[in-house]
Amino acid sequence: MQAAVWESTLAQELTGHFGDRILACSSYLGQNFVEVRPEAAVSVLLYLKEKAGFDTIVDLTAVDYPKREARFDLIYVVYSHPRNERLRIKMQIPEGFEPSTAVPVFSGANWMEREIFDLFGIRFAGHPDLRRILLPDEWTGHPLRKDTSILAMDQAWVQEHVGIESGQ
Amino acid sequence: MKLLKKLLFGDLFDGMKITFRSQAPKHIYTEQYPSEHPKVSERFRGAPRLNINPENGETLCISCDLCAIVCPENLIKVTSVRNPATRRKDLTQFTYDLSRCMFCGLCEDACPVDALELTQDFELASYSRHGLIWDRQMLEEGPHPQRYK
Amino acid sequence: MTGTFLDTNELVLNMGPQHPSTHGVLRVVLKLDGERVLSSDCVIGYLHRGVEKIAEHRTYAMFAPYVDRMDYLSAVSNGLGYCLAVEKLLNVEAPPRAQAVRVILVELNRIASHLFWLGTHALDIGAMAPLFFTLREREEVLKIFENYCGARITTHAFRIGGLYYELYEGFEAEISAFCEMFQGRLDEYEKLLTENRIWVNRLKGVGILTAEQCKDLGVTGPMLRASGVKWDLRKAQPYSGYEQYDFDIPTRETGDTYDRYLVRLEEMRQSVRIIQQAVKKIPAGPAMAKVPKVIKPPAGEVYVSIEAPKGELGYFIVSDGTIHPYRIHVRPPSFVNLQALSIMAKGALVADVVAIIGTIDIVLGEVDR
Repeated sequence: MQAAVWESTLAQELTGHFGDRILACSSYLGQNFVEVRPEAAVSVLLYLKEKAGFDTIVDLTAVDYPKREARFDLIYVVYSHPRNERLRIKMQIPEGFEPSTAVPVFSGANWMEREIFDLFGIRFAGHPDLRRILLPDEWTGHPLRKDTSILAMDQAWVQEHVGIESGQ
Repeated sequence: MKLLKKLLFGDLFDGMKITFRSQAPKHIYTEQYPSEHPKVSERFRGAPRLNINPENGETLCISCDLCAIVCPENLIKVTSVRNPATRRKDLTQFTYDLSRCMFCGLCEDACPVDALELTQDFELASYSRHGLIWDRQMLEEGPHPQRYK
Repeated sequence: MTGTFLDTNELVLNMGPQHPSTHGVLRVVLKLDGERVLSSDCVIGYLHRGVEKIAEHRTYAMFAPYVDRMDYLSAVSNGLGYCLAVEKLLNVEAPPRAQAVRVILVELNRIASHLFWLGTHALDIGAMAPLFFTLREREEVLKIFENYCGARITTHAFRIGGLYYELYEGFEAEISAFCEMFQGRLDEYEKLLTENRIWVNRLKGVGILTAEQCKDLGVTGPMLRASGVKWDLRKAQPYSGYEQYDFDIPTRETGDTYDRYLVRLEEMRQSVRIIQQAVKKIPAGPAMAKVPKVIKPPAGEVYVSIEAPKGELGYFIVSDGTIHPYRIHVRPPSFVNLQALSIMAKGALVADVVAIIGTIDIVLGEVDR
């Protein structure tokens, strides 16, 4: 995407404090985001919460780019009430990497990380209770990865249990 | 005074006054359904219908396939043959699967000639899964629910 | 470990997915000591339909009907959030006429959602009469939706770029009539419930959540406002023309169930205020912006959120330049707010757990997607 460089006092503070652990500070369509190294993400979140006033976690999600070396994109969205500003923190992680959990910083990340584990298969190191949340506990596979095809899953299930061709 | 009200359950009686007042309502909201058919709005998204040109009895559909392209669940199948005389497409078969239709109205919005329309019929039950897959004839005539008196 | 028959063990009680008070298929596993809850654990996922995965196989315009079905009680708000997010990706803005009508319909939907919440919450606590009255009011709102777009609940009212349906004859008249009638009805609900000693005793002091806990958990919406934080996305980061309307943000201090009830009741009054202002001056003009027939936003990602009746509803859309979205993630307010259940239920009685589940105002379609 055509992202512009984001220049502000906050961006300078972050790059000053974290040095090369912050890869880029950019902005797209007016929304600012910071790309960080995977190991530094939780410390960036802690710094933002304590020093910069970002006191709420809004969202935590992941995107799968299977053709890329570092397959998953993990994205935190945080919001600051005093500054009325929203910020995204992105990082790229390869398959099998276990990022540290953000639960000590924001307890609202608990279920969000469980959902990412459930649907993508990314484990979070140090999470108090990492188990599947939306799918049944005995489910195998991680549906939101790009290589799972729900059409194939549906046709296989209908063939096995009902014996007819699935309508999809 | 407030203490008296509290001892004599004043707040509860205030609430009960409202409930008792509504025991004899001026306007009864219950619809006596099978005997009176409810009035649905004009834009209600109900059963689909293929419209026919009233003058010559031919279908208005031009087989452009836009409704099939735009349906989120791929429930519409349009087949046509090319008529060499008029150099237009003639509709042969039009299948609409109502079993998974969500009545979103995208097909109705996409039709350029207002041939496909979602009418105000909502009594669409059928005894078999196959009975919900409507072919061209059912689409042109509409459903015939059995009305109970 | 030898005990007499008077020793009590911990009892595990299952408030199963099929339960009249859990507002959908929510399963709560409670560990009880007598009547007090020691800990609780929510098991969700019974309504998981894989909406985010479906989105990757549909085009942008095709996905709009699916969005209504997540929070099925406030489908219009869901639709607004999605349309705003895609419009931001395309860098277009809906024309002022579309924005005004969108605000009217979304505020009507807020009233409908809060009415349904009030009726079912009162029913859980034991008051049966408010349910009938609130659903009767909600019928009027649903009739207006049906007259406008053809469906009562899964409305699919907005399109990307503006509105598809023109306003029908009598739109303004019906809405003004509804607003007049509704003010009196709201006073009736207050008389039924607010001073009622049973109501106050059941709700005061139950499920207290402080402002710090709310912000830490990411809780938004009326729960946050009842805990003392005066924050509403319609005022903080206005969208769709909200800055033109004059309304207050109701807040309370304590953050218990009674406060949340008062906040939602007051929000309904403020919604009526907004609707009355908007209906007086719907601008003339086109209802749809210039949007290409085939929507192909440039590659990029965007996060847009609105103030849905339940909290902050956010859409995170990643586009890769094709007609299919690469990833759509929905940030559901009920999912994040439901995490507060285990904190609020600690030490409460079992009957209070029912009140707490009701006060969070969850809709399982949104929690599970």
